[in-house]
Amino acid sequence: MNTTKYLFFSGKGGVGKTTMACATAVHYANEGKITLIVTTDPASNLADVFETEIGHKITPLLNNLWGMEIDPDKATEEYRESILSPMRAVMPQSVMVVLEEQFNSPCTTEIASFDRFVDFMVAEKEGKGEKYDVVIFDTAPTGHTIRLLELPVDWSKHIEESAKGEGNTCIGPVASIQKNKVRYDEATRLLGDAERTTFVFVLQPEETSVYETKRSSKELKEIGVKNIELVINGILPGEVCDHPFFKSRYEMHQKYIKIIESDFPVKIRKMYQRDGEIKGIERLLNIEKDLFANSGKQSYSIGNDEITKAVFNNFTADSIDEIIKPNGKTKSIFFTGKGGVGKTVISVATAYKFASEGYKTLLLTTDPASHIGEVLEQHINDKIQKVEGVANLWSVIVDQEKATEEYKQRIIEESKSKYSEDMMIAIKEELESPCTEEMAAFDKFMAYVESDDYDFVVFDTAPTGHTLRLLELPFDYSDQVSLMVTTSQKSQEAKSVTQKRFDKVIARMKNPEKSIFSFVVYPESTPVIEAYRAMLDLKEAGIQTQFVVANQVLKPEYCTNEFFIKRRIMQEKYLSEMKERFQLPVTIMPLLESEIKGIAMIQKASNLLYSKNGKV
Amino acid sequence: MTIQQTESIKIEIFDPPMCCPSGLCGPEIDPALLDINEAVLKIKKDFNGKVNVERYLLSQQGQKFMQQPEVMKRLQTNGVEILPLTLVNGKVMKEKSYPTFDELKKYLGI
Repeated sequence: MNTTKYLFFSGKGGVGKTTMACATAVHYANEGKITLIVTTDPASNLADVFETEIGHKITPLLNNLWGMEIDPDKATEEYRESILSPMRAVMPQSVMVVLEEQFNSPCTTEIASFDRFVDFMVAEKEGKGEKYDVVIFDTAPTGHTIRLLELPVDWSKHIEESAKGEGNTCIGPVASIQKNKVRYDEATRLLGDAERTTFVFVLQPEETSVYETKRSSKELKEIGVKNIELVINGILPGEVCDHPFFKSRYEMHQKYIKIIESDFPVKIRKMYQRDGEIKGIERLLNIEKDLFANSGKQSYSIGNDEITKAVFNNFTADSIDEIIKPNGKTKSIFFTGKGGVGKTVISVATAYKFASEGYKTLLLTTDPASHIGEVLEQHINDKIQKVEGVANLWSVIVDQEKATEEYKQRIIEESKSKYSEDMMIAIKEELESPCTEEMAAFDKFMAYVESDDYDFVVFDTAPTGHTLRLLELPFDYSDQVSLMVTTSQKSQEAKSVTQKRFDKVIARMKNPEKSIFSFVVYPESTPVIEAYRAMLDLKEAGIQTQFVVANQVLKPEYCTNEFFIKRRIMQEKYLSEMKERFQLPVTIMPLLESEIKGIAMIQKASNLLYSKNGKV
Repeated sequence: MTIQQTESIKIEIFDPPMCCPSGLCGPEIDPALLDINEAVLKIKKDFNGKVNVERYLLSQQGQKFMQQPEVMKRLQTNGVEILPLTLVNGKVMKEKSYPTFDELKKYLGI
C-alpha cells in the first residue's frame, strides 16, 4: 500500500498559489491518483477556480478529486461547541456569555483552524477518514502559514515544558492535551519527511517576492522541512514586450530569475503570465500542461476571445487630498494589505509627500519582510534615524523578534525582586508561550502610535483586526475581572495604568481625524477579496478604513498588443468591482517601467500617486 | 501532580474566566494572579505530600465546576462575579478574591 504524499503550496496573496495548487491537483487526479485539495486560506478562491460551491466540507470536484475550504469561523465554532455544549444545560446565561466571548480570542481561532488542518495530516496514522494518494494544501499566505506550521513544534515543546512545571498552558491543562501533543508531533514528523512532503513556494520575479521566499524557506528549514521547490510565476513573455515600457520590465524579470536560480539550489519551474484569469477546468489544464511538461516553449494565452480593437474605459481615480490633509494634530496613516502588494512603496511615497511639503514625518514598518531600506537606498534599523537626502523625514523598523526579547526581559526584570525562584521558573515557562510574541510586538507598536513628536507617522503595515480584538476583548471584561480578581491596592494601580494606556491608543486608532487606515491592492481577484475581508475585520474592531490604493495599474497608452489589452480590460473589471465593494475612494498608482528605488524614483512615484491627474 | 494518600488535604481554586492562570498572556501582567501563583507554589513546597492544590479554569475544565454543587449553587445565584472560589476539602473558604499564602495556611490548620 502506498503512503500518502503531501504537497504544500505557499506564497503571498496574488502570486498564483491557488492556481498552481489546483493545476497540480488536476494533474494527479488525471493520473488516477485519489487526490484531496484543502485550503486554509480564508480568502481562498478554490471555488472560483473549479466553478463550484465547496465550503467547509469535503466536496467531490472531478473524477478522483475532492476539495475542502477550511473556514476559520466554522472551525472555531466547532471547537467552541465541543467544549461549551455540555455546559449549556446547567450554567447560568451570564456565565455562558462570558465564556463565549472568551472563545472569540484570536488564539482560539488559530488553534481551531490548525486543528482541522492537522486532522488531515494525522488521519492516515489514526486510521480515520478517506485514504488519499495525494493531499494538497493550498495554504494561507506566507506569514500566517509559517505560524501555523511552527505551532506543532511550539505547542509540543510548550506542552512538554509545562508538564514539568505548573501543568497549565494557554490551550488547556496538560493532561487533557497530551493527545494533541501526539498529533502535533506526528504532523511535525510528516513536515520533515522529505520522501512524503514537498513544499512548493510560488513567487514572482520581483525583489519582495524573492526576499519573502528566502525568509520563509529559512524558517521552514528551521522547523525541519527538507523538501522545497519553487514555481516562478507571472513571468512576462519576451515576445509581447515590444513596447519599451514593458521591455524594461521584461529585463527586470529576467534579472530576478537569474538571482532566484543562483540563490535557490532547488527544483525551479517557470510559468508565464497569462492574458486572462484562470477559471474553469479548461484553463486549469492549460496551466497543468506547462507546469508538468517542463518544456521551454510555453503558452501565455489562456484562450479567451479574440480582441480586435482596444476599447478602454477610463477609470477616474478619486482624490484623497481631503482625507490626508494635515489638521494640526499628529496624524497616523496605516497602509495595510498582503505582503508584496506594494504597501512599502506606497508608504514611502506618502511619507515623501508630507516631508517634502515641510511636515515632520516618521516612516515606520512592523513588517519583518519590509524592504524600506532598499527602497530608500540606505540602511534603516530599529533606531529612529534621519533619512539622507529628504528633509523632515525619519525612519525606523520595529523588529518583532527583538521586541519579544525585550518584552520578556522587561517582565522578568520587573518580577525578579518580587517573587521566589520557583515562581520565576513558572513565569519564564509561561513567557515561552506563542501568545507572548503577538503581545510584545503590539506593545512596541503602541509606543509609536502614542507619539506626538511628528506631524505625520506613516505605518507600512497595520495591526490586524485580530490583534485589535485581542486587546479589546480582554479589556472589555477586564473591567469586571479587575474588580473581582484584584484585591490589593497595587494590583488596582497596575491595572488602571495599563488600561488607560490601551484605552488611549485604541481611542486614537478609532478616531478618523487622527488615524487613517488604507488598503493597498492589485486590481485582481485574490488581493481585492483579501483586503475586503480585512476591512471588515477592522470594522469589527471599531476602525473605519478611509481609502483604497490600486497599485500596478496598466496605463492604456502602453497596452498596444493583445496580451496587455486583455490584461488591462481584466484590471478595469476589478477597479470597478473595488469601488462597488469597498464603497470608498479608490486612488491609483500606475505600474512603472522599473522598480521604485532611490529618492528620484520615490519622488516620481509620489507625484503620480498624489497628483490630481484623474483618469488613467 | 502526584498520587495522593487518602489523608491529604485538597485545596481547589475555581478561577474566573481568563486566558491562563498565570496572568502572563494578557496585555499586561495582573499582580493578583502572580501572587496567588506564588502562594500555591509555596504551599506545594512547604506541605509537600500533605496538600494537593488544583486550579480550574471555567473555559477548559467546565466539568470540574459542574461536578461541585457548592460552586454551581453560587454561580447560579451570583454569576461569574463570585469567582474565584477557594474550596478546602469541598468546603467554600473564600469567594470573590484569592486567598493569600497566610490564609491558605490557616485553612489547612496544620
